[in-house]
Amino acid sequence: MYPDHDQHGPATMIFIGPTGGVKPDLDGLFPDSSDTVLRQVCCSGDKPTLIEEVVALIGEEDEAHALLAQKAALMVDEMLENALYAAPRAADGSPLFPKREPRTLLPEEQITVRYRYDGSHLFLEVRDSWGSLTQGQVFSYLAVNTREAEPDPDRTGRGLFFMWRLFDHLYVRIYPGRETVVGGSLLLQPVAR
Amino acid sequence: MEQQFSYQLVQEGQLETALLAGTIDSRAETAFSDLQKKVRGPALVLDFAAVGRINSMGIALVLRFLKQLTKEQGVQVQVRGLNQINAMLFKMSGVFLMAKEVR
Repeated sequence: MYPDHDQHGPATMIFIGPTGGVKPDLDGLFPDSSDTVLRQVCCSGDKPTLIEEVVALIGEEDEAHALLAQKAALMVDEMLENALYAAPRAADGSPLFPKREPRTLLPEEQITVRYRYDGSHLFLEVRDSWGSLTQGQVFSYLAVNTREAEPDPDRTGRGLFFMWRLFDHLYVRIYPGRETVVGGSLLLQPVAR
Repeated sequence: MEQQFSYQLVQEGQLETALLAGTIDSRAETAFSDLQKKVRGPALVLDFAAVGRINSMGIALVLRFLKQLTKEQGVQVQVRGLNQINAMLFKMSGVFLMAKEVR
């Protein structure tokens, strides 16, 4: 955990991955350069467009690129589903929007996607303006999906579990009630035969 | 352009086979429930060769579908045609405990 203090007050930073290599410096992952892409999401209909954009950036010229593109598409899908449907909560903690219904963002709501591809690493990040995910939920989702061998269709946190397993590095930064940032990196790797 | 989930139930010799296609996410719920009602058994092959992305909601639907078929209807299910990422997701979420993979 990397406690972080800025103008928003204390935040939770959970960084999961090998030490060395990529550091949990979020702005370091996305330098202010032309290859960092920043997108504001306005509705659920933006999801397929963003997925296509990231897949096109990676290309699918061989098996390794195709696999990276498939992983990236899944990660963008999971991250945006979380931001669009899991994050928005009413005061009593119930979800504000049903998962199958297309939706437009509320006037004060913000979802931002950042990504960057350097030819071997894809960096992806989604932030929402809810900050409803908790540190306890993150660890509980990962623990229950790791521990339970019995396949249970109704198990929660499967999306985050997939992110943890597929990202080479995963970070979650939470400003309670203000913002959740989920991001990670995927490495272009030779396909195992 | 993202392809919505669809299926085709065909007979391959003695084997009942469901040819699945498109993206499997929360929008595939009705189609899976419809397919479940049509399966006669006692054995079924699920062909994922034309399936693209399966997200966590899609995995939940696949697990629910398999649970109903195998545990409640006694149907023996096999899966085939998985791409690398979908095979990884199936392994992580225990799908292969309910349906063996065949080539």
